[in-house]
Amino acid sequence: MHPEFLWTTAACALVTIALKSSFIEGSRHIHLPRWFREALEFVPPAVLIALVVPGVFKGQSSLEAALGAVAIDPRIVAAAAASAVYWVTQRTMPTLGAGMACLYGAYWLQL
Amino acid sequence: MAFLESNAQTARALQGMRSMLPLLPGIIPFGLIAGLTPITLGYHWSDSILASIWMFAGASQLAAYQLIGEGASIWVILMTVAAINLRYVLYSASMAPFLTDASRPVRLLAGYGLTDQIYAIAHRDFPVNTWDLSERLAYYFGGTLVIWLLWQSCVLAGALLGQVVPAMWSLEFMIPLTFLALGLSTLKTTAHRMAAVSGALVTYLGLDAPLNLGLIAGALVGITVGVLSKRVLHAS
Repeated sequence: MHPEFLWTTAACALVTIALKSSFIEGSRHIHLPRWFREALEFVPPAVLIALVVPGVFKGQSSLEAALGAVAIDPRIVAAAAASAVYWVTQRTMPTLGAGMACLYGAYWLQL
Repeated sequence: MAFLESNAQTARALQGMRSMLPLLPGIIPFGLIAGLTPITLGYHWSDSILASIWMFAGASQLAAYQLIGEGASIWVILMTVAAINLRYVLYSASMAPFLTDASRPVRLLAGYGLTDQIYAIAHRDFPVNTWDLSERLAYYFGGTLVIWLLWQSCVLAGALLGQVVPAMWSLEFMIPLTFLALGLSTLKTTAHRMAAVSGALVTYLGLDAPLNLGLIAGALVGITVGVLSKRVLHAS
């Protein structure tokens, strides 16, 4: 067990339950302001796609950490290929599968 | 089901469980990934299952793990988790009229158990039926119990699997790939695509900013660009 990991995720859990319980606990007569509803629509695309960026461009994959770095970061190739597969299939699992396969493939081709 | 006082409640609990079934297959791979990724970052399977038990919110779990792995500040982690879970405020508002008469512990448990899936079926079935509070709670907790058990089982399986998979498989890369697929599925309109592109660009430019603040800046710029694009595109 890692106490720091557990404390951090417990704090995340408090934020989560506060949001989930907000209106169930609060008055049933509160209305969400219009700007909030307007902004909420764009939270998923902005946040989810922004979260991809550090995962692809920051640091290095543990594949490279274990076996040595190569010229072109295989994560960039894999993310591009996964996007293309999502474009065609519109399904999550093939996207994940193609992404991981291309990560290995793009690394292996450069060895 | 000894705790259920009447046949009506038992029937509602079973109905909640049955209604949940079609929504379950989709969560299995995510549960496995959510269980596995803390292990790829060097944590123990017990860390993974405990975090999943108290957070119980899939996408935000993955975001928290990725940011913990990058050494982000606690405030950036909390803000990101809040952003991903902001939709629950809407669900909460929509569920509130059906649950506010319950006692506080029951309401808190209902809040904890709120998911995209239970919202989807309760939002569909509560308004069209004349169930009393106890029947609604039986339905809600019946459905929630099923998805909670399956989610935590998948997390545990993923965590144990993670213990035996070597680091060189780079399974931590499944976190950004998952966000990629989830994010691409939200790009319904031009305004949504503008939000995504501008948010990603700002996050990229801010990658070396301290405390992962580039991510927060990217999210805020993306949301603002989305709102403004929609206004401009609708006005024209």
